[in-house]
Amino acid sequence: HFYLYEKVNIIHLHFIAQLQEAFAAGLLKPGMNVLVDKPKKLVNNVEGLKQCLADFRKDLPWVERLDLTNLPAANIISQAEEKASAPAAGELDADDDFQREMFFYRQAQATILEAMPLLNRHSIATKRPEDYFAEMAKSDQHMQKIRKKLISKQMIMERSEKAKKLREQRKFGKKVQIEVIQKRQQEKKAMMSAVKKYQKGMTDKLEFLEGDQKMNKESSQGSKKAVNKKGPSAKRKYKDQKFGFGGKKSGKKWNTKESYNDVSGFRAKIAHGKGGKKGKGGKQNKRPGKSVRKKMKNRS
Amino acid sequence: PTGKWTNKERVLIFSSRGINFRTRHLMQDLRTMMPHAKADTKMDRKDKLFVINEVCEIKNCNKCLYFEAKKKQDLYMWISNSPHGPSAKFLVQNIHTLAELKLTGNCLKGSRPLLSFDPKFDKEPHYALLKELFIQTFSTPRYHPKSQPFVDHVFTFTIADNRIWFRNYQIIEEDGSLVEIGPRFVLNLMKIFQGSFGGPTLYENPDFRSPNMHRREMRLAAAAKVREKQMVKEMQKGKKTSAKEDLESDVTADVFLTPAEEKPADIQTEAPEPKVVKKKQKAFKRQRMQMLSLHRNQYST
Repeated sequence: HFYLYEKVNIIHLHFIAQLQEAFAAGLLKPGMNVLVDKPKKLVNNVEGLKQCLADFRKDLPWVERLDLTNLPAANIISQAEEKASAPAAGELDADDDFQREMFFYRQAQATILEAMPLLNRHSIATKRPEDYFAEMAKSDQHMQKIRKKLISKQMIMERSEKAKKLREQRKFGKKVQIEVIQKRQQEKKAMMSAVKKYQKGMTDKLEFLEGDQKMNKESSQGSKKAVNKKGPSAKRKYKDQKFGFGGKKSGKKWNTKESYNDVSGFRAKIAHGKGGKKGKGGKQNKRPGKSVRKKMKNRS
Repeated sequence: PTGKWTNKERVLIFSSRGINFRTRHLMQDLRTMMPHAKADTKMDRKDKLFVINEVCEIKNCNKCLYFEAKKKQDLYMWISNSPHGPSAKFLVQNIHTLAELKLTGNCLKGSRPLLSFDPKFDKEPHYALLKELFIQTFSTPRYHPKSQPFVDHVFTFTIADNRIWFRNYQIIEEDGSLVEIGPRFVLNLMKIFQGSFGGPTLYENPDFRSPNMHRREMRLAAAAKVREKQMVKEMQKGKKTSAKEDLESDVTADVFLTPAEEKPADIQTEAPEPKVVKKKQKAFKRQRMQMLSLHRNQYST
């Protein structure tokens, strides 16, 4: 510990001595003198590298080395899709994982395509015969694990596909069911109104009874067009306009500023009590009052 | 067909102390892939690096792959031609071992690999030197006693983003369909030395940033961001609480003053006269009807 302190002291003294010398020589100027690092120079001894390579290189026949240098093979997929994403080797984006791995894959492919004829020439086999059993780099147990994982992945995908399809089917089935129910309700309504009309004596034709049979024949032809000729009723239209399409939306404020200030529905005459009824002929079939009906009943 | 094993290459693959499981598995995988490789016990990092040359000589190896782990985080790989050199030091990243389930290929243990290089390796002298080193280290010599005579996998070395990417593929069909076997890693070159584990530096990678520096930079950046945010907050606080200057005169005082003509003050002393209301005396409806009928009767007869 003591020794280190001394050493540091000595270095300091040496440094100070240097400064004193510089000052005496007139090299130091007044003011702050800051130590500046020399810009770091990186070694690139091209000559040395080449020399080293020449010394180190072993001139072995290709059969010993089995090395090839090539660009990746043509990208069939991108050619088929005519994608303009054919980067030269210099533009390979290391961050785009898929592109990068495809690049490596194609480089290996190009090597193989080039190497096959060469290997055949040197009578080196690439295919292992069926009865040749030898130790593999990965054990059979490991390969089983891999196979199981692949199978499980496939099953999961299949299951999710099936679930999706089922969901779609159910939605479709529900839609069809709703349509059928609505159609039946409409028919019932039509029938009931026809019956009522007959009861009240508005029409004396009993065609509506056979109407079903006739309707069934005509329905497929063109009556579907005539069903909704008038579209939504006036009441429906008014409600749509007031509350928005698709029905009244929950939570919508009723007494907003706009609705309060809106005086379009103000009729001065009615407000002052002068409007009165629409005149005579409001209802043609005015239903008699309770007492009159009772009298009628008692009479009959 | 057997032949004589003439290309006597032996690679020593070993590591320092303090490596983690991934590095250990990588080393084992490399030993599996390269039948001409030998293993050795872990070396203490206290010893100088040139001791490795002696270890290689003892084991009768002429190449060496030495894995050095620092801070239990960073892994460096030395590849060297013992005893005369050259050698290179790399930072290893993105290690995936043989045991990963996503790497589904398999190959014969000890089969000879094809080596595939990027054309970029021929363009720079340092890459050319590295290429020669890789070829001599990774290619299995022909007729090696532990090797298999078939060629069923290929090592690829590609240069991207100033790094060397290593992949190992299994050849399934001769038309070029491949599956990856593993392992895979990325080498980031640091320096090339003329000697083995020493000697004059032949090349330094200008794009290399040590992982320590990298981590430090991230930390400083994060700290700078936080400090900046705090400064902005303080400034805003200061603005709010600082005393605002009192205005002596109201600038908007004259906005509504509209000069108008002075009207003479008209003072009325007497009350004005009440207005005469002309009211039309209209008779009630009944009376009017009566009058009308009267009128009609008058003129009809």
